[in-house]
Amino acid sequence: MLKRLLIAAAIFGLAPLSLTGAAWAHGPSRQKVVESIEINAPADKVWAVIGNFQDASWIPAVAKTEGKGGNEPNATRTLTLKSGGTVEEQLDKYDAAEHSFGYEITKVDVKVLPINDYSSHVTVTANGDKSTVEWKGAFYRGYMLNDPPPELSDEVANKAITDLYTSTLAALKKKIEGGS
Amino acid sequence: MPAIAPAVAHEAIVTDQPADSVSVVDLDVMKETGRIGVGGKPAGVALSPDKATAYVTAPDSKELIEIDAVSHAVKRRLVLGGAPLGIAAHPTLPEVYVADWYAHKLIVVDTVKFVVVGEIAVGLSPSGVAVTPDGRLLLSADRDSDAVSIIDVATRTRLGTVATGSRPFGITIDKAGARAFTANVKSDDVTVIDIAARTVVGKVPTGRRPYAIALAQGRGFVTDQYGGTITVFDQGALAPIKRIDACDHPEGIEADASETNVYVACWGDDVLLRIDPLSLKVTGKAPVGNGPRAFGKFIR
Repeated sequence: MLKRLLIAAAIFGLAPLSLTGAAWAHGPSRQKVVESIEINAPADKVWAVIGNFQDASWIPAVAKTEGKGGNEPNATRTLTLKSGGTVEEQLDKYDAAEHSFGYEITKVDVKVLPINDYSSHVTVTANGDKSTVEWKGAFYRGYMLNDPPPELSDEVANKAITDLYTSTLAALKKKIEGGS
Repeated sequence: MPAIAPAVAHEAIVTDQPADSVSVVDLDVMKETGRIGVGGKPAGVALSPDKATAYVTAPDSKELIEIDAVSHAVKRRLVLGGAPLGIAAHPTLPEVYVADWYAHKLIVVDTVKFVVVGEIAVGLSPSGVAVTPDGRLLLSADRDSDAVSIIDVATRTRLGTVATGSRPFGITIDKAGARAFTANVKSDDVTVIDIAARTVVGKVPTGRRPYAIALAQGRGFVTDQYGGTITVFDQGALAPIKRIDACDHPEGIEADASETNVYVACWGDDVLLRIDPLSLKVTGKAPVGNGPRAFGKFIR
């Protein structure tokens, strides 16, 4: 229970923390989260929902997407979250034929998302009339130095990203299979 | 100097960081033949001069781990403290050099006694480390100083520094010991350094977030971590030749001794890739443990 409260505090900006020290040096070990979901719809249909970098409305936590550069590499977007924080992102790779894109977070407060140096790939793979969406993230924990406080640990970072991915993919499945 | 036919590489020693293991890959058949549990989130790797022993850094447990590369047994562990990551072995002496990126120093470990025998102050957050083939000079990519330190091995003193692009991470020295190449993760380029003159002789643009560099067949091969590509450049012209679509988060990269193949650890896809440095095609793939990094010289 305490851990959950700490996670919520870290995510929703209640943590009374200020980060000091090295601006760029990251924690010692990069984390990886991979989540996927099967959707009862063809890959083209799924890609039509998630394949526009300038529209992140398929992510329930996102209130607004503003960006420039379309779906070209180096395109940027700013996500305003329903919780109030913002996340700035950049498109690194985009392949419409392969139904895949890669992006990175260029700016986010650890109070909004307790992570650093985040990059990610989203891929839709056709499986007959069905498809599988895979969301894969690489990131460091929120605390940039050795021996992190518990609320900015590897575990908290992993939990935040895992929860984001699983809840978003479940919502995506519901949205598409629900026919909306 | 008459060329001695280099032995063909047979195995890769790959650190699987999130899996807490080291994968051994038979490069003739591109198959994993052993997995060694080591703990500590292993990342960096170096091999002894006879390539019979592997030295692995574990940033989480702050250790140096010694592994018998033949029997796959973990032999000794040494707590170094700080955040050990980059590592290089001396070509002839029983010494390894470990970069501590929080303490801004290199740690010298005697590999016979397996104890710390010295420290060398360098720039901020040293990451990649490399030794010249003649064993005379040690170079570290000092990431947060945007510079390379050049160190005299015999006296363990820093002779000078050379400014690089932004945030150099991996560093590789050519076979002649003439040039060093750094992968600069923030400026998306490679800095080319004349080691003797301590000057920059060129710069090559790469894909997004270059991590490490291999040299083979007169070409350089750079892992573009975020781009998912390998940037290939000409070592003479210092100009890009091609960008190879590789995998999710390519990281450690090294050519075998004969420069027949280049091997890439794919952190995101959990595979070791084989690339033909002449045709620039991906010619093989071996599944390994979760999150392979292989940061250093990992081919025996």
